[in-house]
Amino acid sequence: MQADERTQWVPAAVSTDILDGTVVPAALPTGPIAVWRTASGELHANGDRCPHRGMRLSHGFVRGNSLSCIYHGWRYGRDGGCEHIPAHPGLEPPKSINCGPLPVAEANGVVWVAAQAPEEAPAEIEGFEALKSMLFCATPAAIAEAAGGALKTELGGTPAHLVTAERTPSETFVVALVPTGTDVASKLAAATALEALRRVTESAT
Amino acid sequence: MSDQAMRDAWFPVGLLSGLTRAGTASMLMGEDITVGLDDTGAPSVDCGGRKLPTVERFGHLWTSLGAPEKDLFTIPEADHPERTLVDVGVVRVKCSPLRAVENFLDIAHFPFVHTDILGEEDHPEVNNYKVEVRKDEDEVWATKVEFYQPQAAASAGGGIITEYMYRVPAPTCSVLYKTCPPRPGEWDVICLFVQPLTEELCDVWPWMALFDDTSTITDLIHFQQLIFLQDRSILENQIPKKLPLDPALETPTRADLTSVAYRRWLKRHDYTYGAQLVAE
Repeated sequence: MQADERTQWVPAAVSTDILDGTVVPAALPTGPIAVWRTASGELHANGDRCPHRGMRLSHGFVRGNSLSCIYHGWRYGRDGGCEHIPAHPGLEPPKSINCGPLPVAEANGVVWVAAQAPEEAPAEIEGFEALKSMLFCATPAAIAEAAGGALKTELGGTPAHLVTAERTPSETFVVALVPTGTDVASKLAAATALEALRRVTESAT
Repeated sequence: MSDQAMRDAWFPVGLLSGLTRAGTASMLMGEDITVGLDDTGAPSVDCGGRKLPTVERFGHLWTSLGAPEKDLFTIPEADHPERTLVDVGVVRVKCSPLRAVENFLDIAHFPFVHTDILGEEDHPEVNNYKVEVRKDEDEVWATKVEFYQPQAAASAGGGIITEYMYRVPAPTCSVLYKTCPPRPGEWDVICLFVQPLTEELCDVWPWMALFDDTSTITDLIHFQQLIFLQDRSILENQIPKKLPLDPALETPTRADLTSVAYRRWLKRHDYTYGAQLVAE
């Protein structure tokens, strides 16, 4: 990954898919990440690997302002530092134990994560909000082509933007945005159209 | 990196009770094998037309791709006639065979992975215990391992402080001796025999020799399978899949002394099939 790519915001999840006090898996081009909210709703992201024994932290649990690994309960704070090792309750964990916090931001109801802090906030697409995310087995270029030549498109009669992030050469994470205030029936039609777009894209590649 | 040291080791490849003349297709360290009975009814393992050496022990058939210098280890305690011998069966796990053994050697995960069975969150502390490599046997041993367990075994009525001893007599095998609730003074014997299919895929054959007059064999198998399926959810989600032998890649604490000794012992013997030597 080039230095300028590291400082780019990458869409990682839909904001409403990460409930308060929960953690979900996602990915950057640099590798898997865990995205989580504290009990009070503050958003955080870090590497999806506990430094102790390599367990995915996205399988862990959130309590209060901390994320714990499901394997041995090692607890990490908002700065990624290890706060507590249950097997040795009297031990203050060395500062060097850290699960690698990542810059995170929300815009248009999308969670954006970067490998290194970008200079600016993620670009806002005015008047649109996230509908849902999907993983396509295709490249962003193939998705744009199937969507009619551009990622600004239409889904089931509703104007839509597709925000994409190439996770591997064969997998792209896609978030569909529709106009804020779109009614439920149109949202359902857009979601169905997004699934159809995935079928078309994947059968074309 | 040579796999010869591991090729010369013994591995479990099936239950003796499950062998058939038709044979079963399996794999050992990436090579296709057929496990079954020959024309005379004797257990046999074929690898591309080559007959591999076999040993029948602990309810399982064992084989090797190379020429083992040592006989397969023994477990004298398991010979007691009053013990119930339990062939648990097989669990296929998408992980390094070495990660499967290391997880078996670990007690600190009990409160979080086997919650309210082998451990509970209110009692997570791991006290100091003793780890050594026994020179004559060339085996890793951990002794004086103590842990609070809400339900230590199918036969346990309530919470007890359980004492454990762990033994690694072969690169993908571990024997656990633990407090036997119905017979103070004796040890239950619980084994993890791991068949390396590839470096990132294994068949795990748990086997037990217990004193338990009350549980049925079905109960005992269900208990062990419940525990192992909980372990599988961990083992298939560790990164990297191979066991890192580079000390810089993971962060052990005092509770991990058995794992540290196991990793060093593997490295010293070139038992590196399923291991990652340097960070990728």
